Amino acid sequence: MRKIIAASIAILVFVVLAYFFITSSAPIDYRHGGYYENPINHEQYNQSVPQKYLNGTRQDTGASNAVTAIVVEYRGFDTFGEVTVLFTAATGIALLLEAYRRKMERVVESNFIVRIASIVILPFIVVVGTYIFIHGHLTPGGGFPGGAVIASGFLLMLLVKTRKGLNEKNLTITESFAGMTYALIGLLGLVLAQEFLQNYLPLGIFGTVFSAGIIPLIYIAIGFKVGSELSGILDHLKGVHSE
Amino acid sequence: MVMFDVPPVLLIAFPLFFAFLAPLIYYLSKKSIKFYTLGVLILNAILSYFLFFRVMDEGVVYEQLSGFYPPVGILLAVGYLGSILAMLINTLATINYVSFFDEKSHSLRFSMLYMLVTASSTGIVVTGDLFNMFVFFEITAVGSYGLLASKGTKRSYEGAIKYIVLGSIGSSFILLGIATIYGYLKTLNFYDIAARISTMPIEAKLMAFTFLVIGIGVEAEIFPLNGWVPDAYQGASSRVASFMVLGPSKAGIYAIARLIFTLIPFSDGYELALILGALTLLIGELAALNQKDVKRMLAYSSIGQMGLILIALSLHSQIALIAAVFLIVNHALAKSLLFLGSRNYASGILKNPVIGASIFIGALSIIGMPPFPGFWGKWYLIVDMAHNGLWFMISVILFAAIVEAVYYARFLFRGTGNEKVTLLPGEKIAIISLAVLLVIIALFPFLLYNPASNAATSFLGGGP
Amino acid sequence: MTYELLVPIFIVSTALISIGLYGVMSKKNILKIILSLDLMDTGVNILIVAMGYLPGGTAPIENGNYKVYVDPVPQALVLTAIVIGVSVTALALAIAINYYRKTGTIELEKEGVMKW
Repeated sequence: MRKIIAASIAILVFVVLAYFFITSSAPIDYRHGGYYENPINHEQYNQSVPQKYLNGTRQDTGASNAVTAIVVEYRGFDTFGEVTVLFTAATGIALLLEAYRRKMERVVESNFIVRIASIVILPFIVVVGTYIFIHGHLTPGGGFPGGAVIASGFLLMLLVKTRKGLNEKNLTITESFAGMTYALIGLLGLVLAQEFLQNYLPLGIFGTVFSAGIIPLIYIAIGFKVGSELSGILDHLKGVHSE
Repeated sequence: MVMFDVPPVLLIAFPLFFAFLAPLIYYLSKKSIKFYTLGVLILNAILSYFLFFRVMDEGVVYEQLSGFYPPVGILLAVGYLGSILAMLINTLATINYVSFFDEKSHSLRFSMLYMLVTASSTGIVVTGDLFNMFVFFEITAVGSYGLLASKGTKRSYEGAIKYIVLGSIGSSFILLGIATIYGYLKTLNFYDIAARISTMPIEAKLMAFTFLVIGIGVEAEIFPLNGWVPDAYQGASSRVASFMVLGPSKAGIYAIARLIFTLIPFSDGYELALILGALTLLIGELAALNQKDVKRMLAYSSIGQMGLILIALSLHSQIALIAAVFLIVNHALAKSLLFLGSRNYASGILKNPVIGASIFIGALSIIGMPPFPGFWGKWYLIVDMAHNGLWFMISVILFAAIVEAVYYARFLFRGTGNEKVTLLPGEKIAIISLAVLLVIIALFPFLLYNPASNAATSFLGGGP
Repeated sequence: MTYELLVPIFIVSTALISIGLYGVMSKKNILKIILSLDLMDTGVNILIVAMGYLPGGTAPIENGNYKVYVDPVPQALVLTAIVIGVSVTALALAIAINYYRKTGTIELEKEGVMKW
């Protein structure tokens, strides 16, 4: 009975959603007939918002990746919130699982080959992750994927060292410093320029690593933060004491 | 009084910064973390007062972020209602935090979650961007999942899982709504959307409205999306339930108000909101009548109050909106008071007449007895309905009020708490402070009436 | 006027959303519920990315050879949405672990989560 109700609701939702999105007359091409209006002083500009992003990325932010420019600069406050969501989740997980951490009694030792191979691979994983978040403004990458790659390296360590966990205190301190750095970069924008998260560094030469103002700095902070947070989450899910 | 033009973003950035800093403080000195958290909350409350006075002075305060004009950059727009709610949430969160002071195993993570949820609830009421609001909704939701599950009983986990399921479905629907609106208008700014929403075809508008109501309705506890409320509140500790009532649910109702007034205003939407509100009210109150557990009863009563607020919002007239502000403030104050007192009411009134009297005041205000703010809210609402000839709705509200009176009378005179627990000193302080605030508003209703009137005017004009 | 290419994408993404919805409503196992929520998230994310499609457009990274780029905003929004989805999933798993340790089972009692 329950399954029939669930199935009929799901099918109804499918039909309505699919019909709506397929037949909707949304102007998918953002280039035609677009304009945007500043809602405060009602100035109008004869291009749409995505066009403004694509045309203005180079002059406004100095980045070559428009998605990065949107994520870190144009809509940077969203990303500040996004980092906080992950931070909140990591905090909640620590709150819930702290009580259950204990020493592992029965462990299966990992294979010799796996142990040695992981030690060889780990530095490369960390280097790749670092590369990804440092080059966020030039390539499709950034702090989140870079941090996730680094955390996957730590996951490898957790899988190999079955007896031990990571050092929670160090992870928390890294996470704290990275988060504070991000918030301070934003607050400095309020002091040195006029607005929160506004760029106050020179844009540099387009297309090089040291360009795009505060974007690489923010992505480095995010990379450290995401890396340590995801590692901490994995460590807590494993549930082993660090000593 | 020295005025300081506080930028609204500080209300969000400061507590987040201090939450990031908290582990370092904790590793330096484990005992000081409660005082640190209290200090941060007090700082934020003070900032919210400055913001409130600034809004009262200059009208709506805009702040653009990242150095780009809206809608290219993100805009914060704090209106009258937003500033009232920011003040309310931050003040009450500070008072409520005092009740956690005696906790023996007071943990770092709990304080951090508390700061984060307070900051993000504030973020919802000050933002002027649809996607930014979604992000703050998610911070609030994720923090609330953790706080609700933190009691560590089977019931609290079940409640939290239920909330996670409905909350995630809700967030998917908010995203669908955002995708629909962005697909047509290529913008995410509230003002820009409102200015151009009429160019969208009617079916797309309807779909976007439905998606967003489903998504936000989970947080604002609207029927039929509030299935998580009784279980989650019953499972959580009374102090966490009290915090949920004063913070996240108020932010949710603000988002609904913003949606039906400024974002997608069309007349069918008001009627839909009226019907949903009436259903929420009736079902909440009737379900509360049958409950044995105090917290579950209060949770259903909370649903009923949310329905009442939604009815007031959906009438879209000056007086009804003033009524809505009174009801929101009343619900935040009185219901969090009752949740705090729910741990052991029965013996509380005998042992300590001050606490007993405070709880009595809270219950009276929720039922709508003069001269408490709950009365003013219901009174303005009924006056407005009589003016519009909505006699059926008046009878619904009066019926709900009678039902409310019956089960609160049972709660007050028979007492339902049977645990042999006494209230902690911190809880007593919080309960008494909330009762004092209720009495202050009861004695000087114009303190709330004038800002509420401004908020109503601004909302009817399509502002925040 | 939808582009022909987008029709199957819309069908797949809305189908994923519906399958997720069905799983959430009909399953008692917490892990299956979490997986269903993930399916829903994925469906929504695919749909939003599809909203930014433009025929002949490339990834919005300036490199001199291309003049037509797809709309970058949906990609930025989805980046945020993915991280939020990961956070919720991780927290839900933590609660599931605690639930298992408390009760010894991963199944919810009686009607599951959708009972009002």
